Amino acid sequence: MNLITLQNTLPQVFADKNFIDSDVWHKDVEFEKGHFYLIEAASGTGKSSLCSYLYGYRDDYQGIICFDDANIRQLGIDQWVDIRKKSLSILFQDLRLFAELTAMENVLLKNSLTGFKKKKDIKDLFYELGIGDKMNVVVGKLSFGQQQRVALIRALCQPADFILLDEPVSHLDEVNARNMARILTEEASRQGAGIIVTSIGKHLELDYTKKMQL
Amino acid sequence: MTYIWKLLRRHISPAQLAGFFLANLFGMVIVLLSIQFYQDVAPLFTQGDSFLKKDYLIVSKQVSTLGSFVGKSGTFTEADIEEIEEQEFTQGVGAFMPSQFKVSAGLGMEQVGLKMSTDLFFESVPDAYVDVNSEQWYFDFEEPVVPIIIPRNYLNLYNFGFAQSRSLPQLSEGVMGLLNLEIRISGNGRSDVYKGNIVGFSDRLNTILVPETFMNWANTLYADADARKQPSRLIVEVDNPADDRIVRFLEEKGYEAENDKLDAGKTTWFLRVIVGIVLSVGLLISLLSFYILMLSVYLLLQKNTTKLENLLLIGYSPARVALPYQVLTILLNVGVWMLSVALVWWVRTWYLHTLESLSPGLPEGSCWLMLVVGFLLLVGVSVFNVLAIRRKVDAIWMHRG
Repeated sequence: MNLITLQNTLPQVFADKNFIDSDVWHKDVEFEKGHFYLIEAASGTGKSSLCSYLYGYRDDYQGIICFDDANIRQLGIDQWVDIRKKSLSILFQDLRLFAELTAMENVLLKNSLTGFKKKKDIKDLFYELGIGDKMNVVVGKLSFGQQQRVALIRALCQPADFILLDEPVSHLDEVNARNMARILTEEASRQGAGIIVTSIGKHLELDYTKKMQL
Repeated sequence: MTYIWKLLRRHISPAQLAGFFLANLFGMVIVLLSIQFYQDVAPLFTQGDSFLKKDYLIVSKQVSTLGSFVGKSGTFTEADIEEIEEQEFTQGVGAFMPSQFKVSAGLGMEQVGLKMSTDLFFESVPDAYVDVNSEQWYFDFEEPVVPIIIPRNYLNLYNFGFAQSRSLPQLSEGVMGLLNLEIRISGNGRSDVYKGNIVGFSDRLNTILVPETFMNWANTLYADADARKQPSRLIVEVDNPADDRIVRFLEEKGYEAENDKLDAGKTTWFLRVIVGIVLSVGLLISLLSFYILMLSVYLLLQKNTTKLENLLLIGYSPARVALPYQVLTILLNVGVWMLSVALVWWVRTWYLHTLESLSPGLPEGSCWLMLVVGFLLLVGVSVFNVLAIRRKVDAIWMHRG
């Protein structure tokens, strides 16, 4: 997948608004592979909705969203499963980790599906993000900031054309946010992947091609 | 797989699964046992006939007082037999062939100092009409041993009449089979002694029966050349003994019928009804237990909905997510099947023992039907389980978000 296009897309809940002032909604927008995008948003402007549309778990929108030339409304279960394994990675705002599994098990759950990373590389990522001592702690006992980093490692355990990050640094300090930015940039450049980051306040510092207001 | 299982096994209720397991086991055992029991017991009544018991009439000409005096023949001519064969209700006709020589049989059990000898007669019918299944029912010209079938009520007459009044030992069917009879056959200027064995007891044929092959052989050897060759009794296989055309035909021709009214037909029918009822109860229990399993699995899926959703979101396919639950139900079903077959087997050895003593030499019923029905139930239930679970997981995918 090289291109994600939004044509006149609008969440259905906004359909009865009189006026939409947005760089994304009701516009034609293109996200190209290999480029980094920042979508800044105020609360309630449909930031998580955008991620859920792109990731295929909600479709309550108007307009058209295409991956390359394919309208994503036409994609079947098998195609979505394939996309989520091979071309689209996401870091959810609510993380969606499994609280009863350890941090490592959460990551391996994904990696055993894709077989993308070696266990040693995964361990290195844990150390680089400062949670090397938390690998075997159940996720339920980690702080939200620590969980965010676990979720990032999980998101990196797959091949990707695009990486979606929904408020990835909301609970991270400067040092960890910079680490995350560095790791992401390395991973993206290695795969030639595009990155789409949403942010409500604190930004993930990347070399953005384009910044948009939602 | 291990991580998924670790995730999804939460909320599994052992009590619910045990409930399903026991209920399904109950149902399955009842279903399989009733099938197996029918297979084993039915031959007791049908004596090896097919599932549907055939009906027979034994037809003879009326013996009238006048006829006895004028020496009127009581035998059936070829034309008589053909006429009966042509009737619509007739499935087949077999002739009773009487012995045309003198027979006397001696019975000895030296151990108890008992020795009896009596004049007899033999009759034969085609083998297909013999209601006793015995491997010994053949005559070998090289080693002549005469297998004999006697009516079961002869034995009863002896046991409950003769033996009691003379303080003689009562004889079981099994012991009778062990007796060696001395058969003396004479006629046509010859006289020979053969060994004889009682190989069975007939409820249908009220005569002393020998194999047709023996009868033909002995008749050519010992009978006078001018002896009568015509049968005096016929056994007629009919499709429905309640057919009123039979009664009319017999009356018109002046024949008498001795119906094979041994009630085996009724008994088998009752057996079939009872087995049918038990089978339905078993199936009902199986159905309910299946319902318990589905409810239990649905509840489990419901409790794990969020996890399942998240698994689907991180790239697991619905098939992969459904797999642990499907494997769980299949394992349970296979366990139930194996255990119920084992239980049926165990119960069977127990009642077969009783059955064997009731009727020695009864052909053992086959287990195949029971195994096949059990397997079909297993496969049917498992397929349904697998599909239902998959549908439920697909539904979680559809209601994403």
